Amino acid sequence: MSARIAVPVFPGTNSEDETLRLLRDCGGDAELVHWSQASSLAQYDAYVLAGGFAYEDRIRAGAIAAHDRMMDSVIEAAESGKLVFGICNGAQILLEAGLVPGTGSIRRPTAAFTRNAPAPHFVCKHVYLKLAIDPARCAITAALPEDAIVPAWAAHAEGRLAATPEHLREIVAGGHLAFVYADSTGAVDDGAIPNGSALGCAGLVNRAGNVLAIMPHPERDAWNFNHLDRREGDDVLATSGGSVLFRSFVQALS
Amino acid sequence: MKAVAIGLKIPDNTAFTAAVALRRLGIAVERLERSEIWFFGGDGSALVERVKADETIFNPNKHYVTVLDEAVPRSGEVWIEPLDNVTLSPSTNSGRALSKGGGEKGGTAWRLFGPNEATLDRESLGSAVERLLCNPAIERAVY
Repeated sequence: MSARIAVPVFPGTNSEDETLRLLRDCGGDAELVHWSQASSLAQYDAYVLAGGFAYEDRIRAGAIAAHDRMMDSVIEAAESGKLVFGICNGAQILLEAGLVPGTGSIRRPTAAFTRNAPAPHFVCKHVYLKLAIDPARCAITAALPEDAIVPAWAAHAEGRLAATPEHLREIVAGGHLAFVYADSTGAVDDGAIPNGSALGCAGLVNRAGNVLAIMPHPERDAWNFNHLDRREGDDVLATSGGSVLFRSFVQALS
Repeated sequence: MKAVAIGLKIPDNTAFTAAVALRRLGIAVERLERSEIWFFGGDGSALVERVKADETIFNPNKHYVTVLDEAVPRSGEVWIEPLDNVTLSPSTNSGRALSKGGGEKGGTAWRLFGPNEATLDRESLGSAVERLLCNPAIERAVY
């Protein structure tokens, strides 16, 4: 029997459909799980937290969702070693839940994806994520090549990694910096960073390597119809698209 | 500079959600008031009129304004301020964002009430701050 993947839907999640579709197109056995079905979450084998504005980002992005009943199950699952992957608002929730970088304790965040800089505006920009760790360091990236480049769309007003200098040092020393922004050739420079993110960070992984949080959306650059160098056959997965990361995630479950 | 609190006179869904979340965390909050703290020059009724004329931060259909006696949090209240004002623009030398009318942005004020409209004690307030209202990576709490 294949591993079952849950895509939890909080009030305000809005990227669940394309996330679900890409998981299925990559061979995953995935289902949406709405907040009213929170009690069923524990039976799944892996979790993908999609983008959106859970609870309208009240208080802070991800803050209320991090304390939702659904996150009780996700936190328990993460601590038992199950895979948890958060994208955009899902990543913000994982930071607020303390699961990534995981240098503090649960629900006591040590970092945040917060208001963009220098302009505090919403950014919608095509970006490239460069894998900044050994692929095997994170179960979700294990099938990617070294220095893999993943195309995606940054679509957020609050995607800038911010933390105290002490915690930024912990992120680097602990190997939590999973993805950095780069150009299409993999060159890392400030011009590739769309939001002023500290360390050029686009994604963080926890100590155990089973929880990954990324801000940009690889699922919005996955099929030929939305891939930047689109080719014929709209519904076909673009081989050079963001699906490479989802394929790696699904492969880790097989 | 005088501190003013600008709150919502329409139902505050964020405050309601925060109160529900805090109760779930075991903190005995009956009611919660949220307001934005701004600092303005001037005093008295002229100050109130100046705030009410600052259309970037005050909408008479949605907001009320309270001039605070002192520029410090009231009983049962905490101000959550950003640690990093890099994105607040334009800003003063102190790093505070400016409103169109010259007000300087302070923090978000959260005032917590328990049973019988009594404000929460310092210990309970601190617990609410640590567990939900403040992310210390990007914010500080002023009591």
